[in-house]
Amino acid sequence: MRYFRHPGFLIGVILLTLLLIVAVAAPWIAPMSPLETDLANTLAPPSAAHLLGTDQFGRDVLSRLIWGTRISLQVAVAVMALSLSLGMVIGAVAGFFGGWVERVTVSIIDILLAFPGFLLALALVAARGSSLETVIIAVALAFTPRVAAVMRAVVLTIKPRTYVEASRAIGMGTMRLLFLHVVPNSLPPVIVVATVSAATAILAEAGLSFLGLGVQPPAPTWGNVIADGQSFLASNPLISLSAGICIAVMVVALNLLGDGLRDTLDPQMRRSSGRVL
Amino acid sequence: MSDTLSAPPPALELVDATRVFTRRGGLFKKAGKAVRAVDGVSLTIRAGETLGLVGESGSGKSTLGRLALRLVEPTSGRLLVDGRDVTGVSKAEMQAMRRDIQMVFQDPYGSLDPRVTIGQSIAEPLKVHGLWDGDGPQKVAGVMSLVGLDPSRADRYPHQFSGGQRQRIGIARALTLDPKILVLDEPVSALDVSIQAQIINLLQRIQRERGLSYLFIAHDLAVVRHVSHRIAVMYLGKVVEMAERDNLYRRPLHPYTVSLLAAVPIADVRMRNRRRTSVTMGEIGSATNVPPGCRFHPRCYRARLVAAAGGVPTERSGDALLPRACLIDQPELRACGGADQVACHFPETPETRSEVATAVLQDIGYPPIRPIPL
Repeated sequence: MRYFRHPGFLIGVILLTLLLIVAVAAPWIAPMSPLETDLANTLAPPSAAHLLGTDQFGRDVLSRLIWGTRISLQVAVAVMALSLSLGMVIGAVAGFFGGWVERVTVSIIDILLAFPGFLLALALVAARGSSLETVIIAVALAFTPRVAAVMRAVVLTIKPRTYVEASRAIGMGTMRLLFLHVVPNSLPPVIVVATVSAATAILAEAGLSFLGLGVQPPAPTWGNVIADGQSFLASNPLISLSAGICIAVMVVALNLLGDGLRDTLDPQMRRSSGRVL
Repeated sequence: MSDTLSAPPPALELVDATRVFTRRGGLFKKAGKAVRAVDGVSLTIRAGETLGLVGESGSGKSTLGRLALRLVEPTSGRLLVDGRDVTGVSKAEMQAMRRDIQMVFQDPYGSLDPRVTIGQSIAEPLKVHGLWDGDGPQKVAGVMSLVGLDPSRADRYPHQFSGGQRQRIGIARALTLDPKILVLDEPVSALDVSIQAQIINLLQRIQRERGLSYLFIAHDLAVVRHVSHRIAVMYLGKVVEMAERDNLYRRPLHPYTVSLLAAVPIADVRMRNRRRTSVTMGEIGSATNVPPGCRFHPRCYRARLVAAAGGVPTERSGDALLPRACLIDQPELRACGGADQVACHFPETPETRSEVATAVLQDIGYPPIRPIPL
């Protein structure tokens, strides 16, 4: 498999696989319930019973982080799927068809891009009330114009290629041409943007949760754990720090994956001896 | 005209085809000037014939080639394939028309999708036209062998092939639908000289075997000489000369053709050293700002010679003295010496040939040309 010759890609995949296993197996590998409070044992330092200590309600931090992986991965995957599918279609249509379709779309994209994505998400959460779905929709909406802008830019570079005209010359219809030749050749840069956007989505979810606008406590998310720990940064830094490290690991893993995909999706980079899966 | 009823219709016919490109104005920019890339061109290609189409960059020859496939829609004029008018036909009929007329592109690197195996690329026309069936793989292998490619390499990607091989792939792809006409848009310009000969031989062999008609577009007169039966010379969107191949090289009528001949590279060193004449012309004029009268007059040596010789009404234009006719009247394409046509007020007929044209013809000599059977 050519993909796994790329070290960054390999590391990214391994990390994400581990995170995925943790997320799926959370009920079995978490030492205790992430919601169970133990008011007799609050803010405990790391011990054999609580490997990362407990928070101010005596909840096991490790268990909360393990369960938090689920929510973070859900957000990442859902945001990526939503913003990628929407943004790609919008960007491809705008770039490929041009004319007034493009002008209208580009204006809307520019207006949306002018808002900081986080503010857009904040506004939507404020309007809809906070829940996991709202967070996902809000972050995905903030990212869709970015994906669309990149997609349009890439499609504009693909459109004048001779093979596009050659496909018209054999009588290929516009839609078939768009989805058979233009979109596949536009994918690499867009996939990179999408993986980065997944990483940023996790950050955005953590940020919103930290502000109390994301997934509501006591649900275990990494952002909530950081928020819980912030009052005790001086005495118990491990609470916020361990959640921060979780976020960093997932963001790095997604970025490595994006870089690896960018490099390996380019057919010129394929070094195999001819037959490629 | 009397024999049009009995003779088979030409494979391809363009009647007064015109294509005007305009740049639409935006909020802050003015609308661009109209560019008449192809300006009232009529030509026919008979079955099994190669028509060479020659002109500099910007002469509109590539646009004309695309008009023939309706890759670019004509602004006005008509397009007939096999005697059938396909100018305004529906999408479905267009689809059928595309089976008869295919194109080979100049850039062998860019004309193939890098993510698609060459076998799939060659099969694609069949799939698009709903002709893919159990025989499909055999058909693909068939055209691959025809163009000299090993069918066992069908599952490879374009970047694994050389430029010449990719051009063979492009030709194979154009042949899958078994068309009657191929538009060849500078098919060898991007290739090494040694590969050019191979591709040209291949094209000629295919033409003989399948009775194809070619519209062979080139930017100089060197390559078309070997492949064409007739040659049309284009300048700023208009055909200025249309002649039988040998006539064009032995008695070029239009001063522009003479200028192009003066630029033909000469392979024979002794001949090349004897070359005395070069006709300097400067850059091609702008298609957005076509000069009045004959559009070639700003670059025409002949107009200056004719004016200097006297005997015609003349007028100053810039620092040159030119015949008034060249400045005012746009010459139409008219018969001049048999079937050959020229659009010039003072063509270089054998009787009136200028010393410039004589010298150019002596320079290039009459190297023997392999005859191509029609």
